[in-house]
Amino acid sequence: MMESVIRLENFYFAYNKSELVLQDIDLEIKKGSFTVVAGPSGAGKTTLCKAMTGIVPFYMGGRYSGDVQVLGESTKGRRVSDIAMRVGLMLEDYESQLVSLTAGEEVAFSLLNHGFAPEEVAERTRKALEDVGLPGRESYQLDELSGGQRQRLLLAATLAVHPEIIVLDEPVSAMDPDGAHSLYELLYAIHQRYGTTIIVVEHRVDYLLPYVTDMVVLKEGQLVTADTFAAAARTMYEDEELRPLVPALWQVKLGVERRFGITLGEWRTEAEAAAELQLLGFEGGNA
Amino acid sequence: MDKEKNTRLPLVDLIEVKPMQDGYRWVAITAMLFAIGIILHTVSPNVGGVTPNWTIAMYSIVINLTNPTLSQAVGIGFIAGITLVPSSKSAFPLGNIASELSGAITCCILVKAMLRCGLGKWKLRPLVTGFLATMASGGVFTFILKIVLGLPLHVWLYAMLPVVAIVGALNGMITFLLFGPVRKLFFVQEDDE
Repeated sequence: MMESVIRLENFYFAYNKSELVLQDIDLEIKKGSFTVVAGPSGAGKTTLCKAMTGIVPFYMGGRYSGDVQVLGESTKGRRVSDIAMRVGLMLEDYESQLVSLTAGEEVAFSLLNHGFAPEEVAERTRKALEDVGLPGRESYQLDELSGGQRQRLLLAATLAVHPEIIVLDEPVSAMDPDGAHSLYELLYAIHQRYGTTIIVVEHRVDYLLPYVTDMVVLKEGQLVTADTFAAAARTMYEDEELRPLVPALWQVKLGVERRFGITLGEWRTEAEAAAELQLLGFEGGNA
Repeated sequence: MDKEKNTRLPLVDLIEVKPMQDGYRWVAITAMLFAIGIILHTVSPNVGGVTPNWTIAMYSIVINLTNPTLSQAVGIGFIAGITLVPSSKSAFPLGNIASELSGAITCCILVKAMLRCGLGKWKLRPLVTGFLATMASGGVFTFILKIVLGLPLHVWLYAMLPVVAIVGALNGMITFLLFGPVRKLFFVQEDDE
């Protein structure tokens, strides 16, 4: 059985002025997994992200029940800044997380705040910028970087503290498809290189199809499923409201499986799908 | 139990937690509003010898928003006074430190008293506290000037204090008008407190 890095047990949460946003959430995030959190708008995905990083309920306040354990320790009584050294967070509005004038200062910010030696800060900054494809940009002003580069810079700042988990809340919502593919490729490369557990809130799961290992699905604040991607996609496909969130390729796959009573492979790319369908004799839309 | 009912009434007791973020946020809000106040103080024209004291208005907003402890209010007042000293054209610039200390402490005590009396949600709270903080600050500052310049008491009473009252009224309005938008900016997801 795989070790879990985040565990929510019977977790309920409501903001001070709201109804329950999360209800009876029981789930585990496996170590080293690439997990996608999906669900319709208002399902509680962002709040779940915040719960995984200790921001909810103890930093923002609110009403809760149950427990959230991050890397074996309850978030209760822990400072968000301490959790942040092990769990990186990138918000949807990533610009709001940028606080410095230059790229180097931005990456070094949290390291300096945690008292790292200047030599180590410089080395980690250099390495983190290199990892995200911005080598040697330490002295660049933030306004000299494009939107996509600023987002990668924030990823570098997150990476520099060597987190064991990175949580990203809809990181590509304001990007074009090329930019989105590029960011997720980079994220996957980091996941592969360092074994970092990645948790991404993304309603366009298509972008992540080649990389996702596990999926958490929420609906109206309740957990629909938390399972491997293949199992979760099947559960989503059975639900009329959630079906559009299943990657288009898998909607085809599950539709074909249902119609012809066959079991197809776990397609991750269009090429894989085309190859298998051709092998089975499906040709040019004449099934 | 149907789903609608379940959303409203979980079968568990929820524990209420206060936001932890307020630990340092008051510092950030104070610094930001002071910076805005200093800029406005520099560019505001003097109309008929009267100009609003943006610094007092800004710390009145901060104190109304964050309800700081008395020692925090002393810190706010001291910093406010220090920021006014370099640009002061008065006969005794250091008087700003004493006057802003008085203003911030007055505002803090008033806010605490109003919260205790159940006036926390009273819409005119920023107006009243902004006005009275300015009166306290201006009163102390002009009294120091009276002593330094050796002016007679009736000059202070009948010439200086009325001007302080006019500035106080202006500041009360500014505090009242800006309190809502600033609150919205910094306290989006929280309760009135």
